[in-house]
Amino acid sequence: MQFSYEVKDSYAEVKGVGRLNMVAAPKLREVVAEVVAGGSSRVVVNLAETDFMDSSGLGALIGCLKAARQAGGDLRISGVQPQVKMVLELTNMDRVLTAYPSAEAAFGDD
Amino acid sequence: MTEVLARKGYHGPANEEAIEAVHEELDALWEDASFVPDMDRMTFATAVIEAAANIVQHALPAADKPVELDVDITVRTRRLQARVSAHNAREPFANDMRADMPDEDAESGRGLALIEALVTTVTFERQDGTNTWILTRESTPADTD
Repeated sequence: MQFSYEVKDSYAEVKGVGRLNMVAAPKLREVVAEVVAGGSSRVVVNLAETDFMDSSGLGALIGCLKAARQAGGDLRISGVQPQVKMVLELTNMDRVLTAYPSAEAAFGDD
Repeated sequence: MTEVLARKGYHGPANEEAIEAVHEELDALWEDASFVPDMDRMTFATAVIEAAANIVQHALPAADKPVELDVDITVRTRRLQARVSAHNAREPFANDMRADMPDEDAESGRGLALIEALVTTVTFERQDGTNTWILTRESTPADTD
């Protein structure tokens, strides 16, 4: 899985392309830690091109959410695809990791 | 028992490369079994990857030989089944067999609960140093007539 990020005016967007499984999960944690350490604690993880997520990937997202909140910000997700939506719903984590239609919309209300 | 219409598998060291290889086998499986509805593919594939990842992350070798992962997936008209095995493995710790969903701030421990939500039945067998998860999903082909 390939990750990239871009720091915007009011948030940082992390994009993941591929499968967010146990192989990719530690990489996501590293990328978000780097973004937060760089001063951007409002993070959107854009999952529009993430076609698979397992419980390891979900665990990494939760870890990243905690890291962003500890730094005074938040982590939100966008562009959620059907398989990822299914995993979020079956684990009841859709209530914690709020999905937005786009990265722009994720912090658009505040 | 109806005829096996498609079959894929993997056998090799239980490591990260194995997980990516199982993903590839599942993708190839759906090319051979195009009649399986998207919902069944998505749920079943997720359960298989969860079980394989559980072995890669948690299975401990029983002796000096490393743990090997074996995945055997069969597709029948109305049934998807995967036998996901850890060879040369110790018996799993009870703590790794918990199937209840942890607290929402937990960063691990959802794998088995997720597997149970994704497939119709999950059984576990241990025989001669091999732990096997048998995941079965009853499938409903779109073209039932």
